[in-house]
Amino acid sequence: MTTSALSLPNLSNAYDDHQEKSRQAQRRADRWLMSGTIVMGTLILGLIGFPLFLRGLVLQVRAQRAGLAVRPMVCTLLGYLVIIDSALNSIGWSLDMVAHHTLINRTILTAWGNMVDGGYFWHYNELWIGGSGAPGEKAWEIALIPVVFCMRLAAAIGFLQMKRWGHQWLIVTCWFGVIIWVGYVANMTVFADVRFTNVVFPVIGWWIYDIFYITPFLAIPYLHTVNREIFSD
Amino acid sequence: MNKKRSVDQDTRRRRALMVFQILIYGYLLALFLIQLHMYSVRDW
Repeated sequence: MTTSALSLPNLSNAYDDHQEKSRQAQRRADRWLMSGTIVMGTLILGLIGFPLFLRGLVLQVRAQRAGLAVRPMVCTLLGYLVIIDSALNSIGWSLDMVAHHTLINRTILTAWGNMVDGGYFWHYNELWIGGSGAPGEKAWEIALIPVVFCMRLAAAIGFLQMKRWGHQWLIVTCWFGVIIWVGYVANMTVFADVRFTNVVFPVIGWWIYDIFYITPFLAIPYLHTVNREIFSD
Repeated sequence: MNKKRSVDQDTRRRRALMVFQILIYGYLLALFLIQLHMYSVRDW
């Protein structure tokens, strides 16, 4: 290699070129990942969103294998999982809170209630605020949609951008997740007679459906042990 | 000295996280079992 090839401007150009290629590859993968996540977050169109998401993952892996400086895979999966979790929780509970008298909501939520959770069937739309009549359910909805899930969505976006605040707020909202699930499962158990009387799949059906949502704890050990220097201020 | 302290801190952090996981999953499992017990004795 000649001396001129190692000169500072050439090295700088190579670095800039690598950075630019990495940025483009990440953006390309994120376009697919984000589109898939948004579509999956609608719940009904989940199966359509999944292949889009997988396509994004393939692009991400290819970029990583090509040696480009892209986001670590574990951060990618965790960030998008949190977005989907926030979106799914928000859409179901928002429908129950503000769209409880629409035909689609009365059909889907009460059918679901009839299957696994009597809280969405028993005295449905009979409270002054409408929607689920289960004890405590509305309080959870009012507290968690505007506070926790909005915060969690913003934190996940910051986390995917590898920002320090995204990492910190994801830790905060994951701990909120602990509070949510300790409280919500206690509520389900205390009012189990309301929730499970005359439903098609009592107890087991609810746990199979809801186990997916009990994911915030899984991220806590990783978030507390990851090297914080990979996140930028 | 500093290295030893950071290793200790890391070990303590990992241990605390394990204890936390056992507690939280233990709690969830306990409530699930309580619900299962209720399911077996009630006329749901």
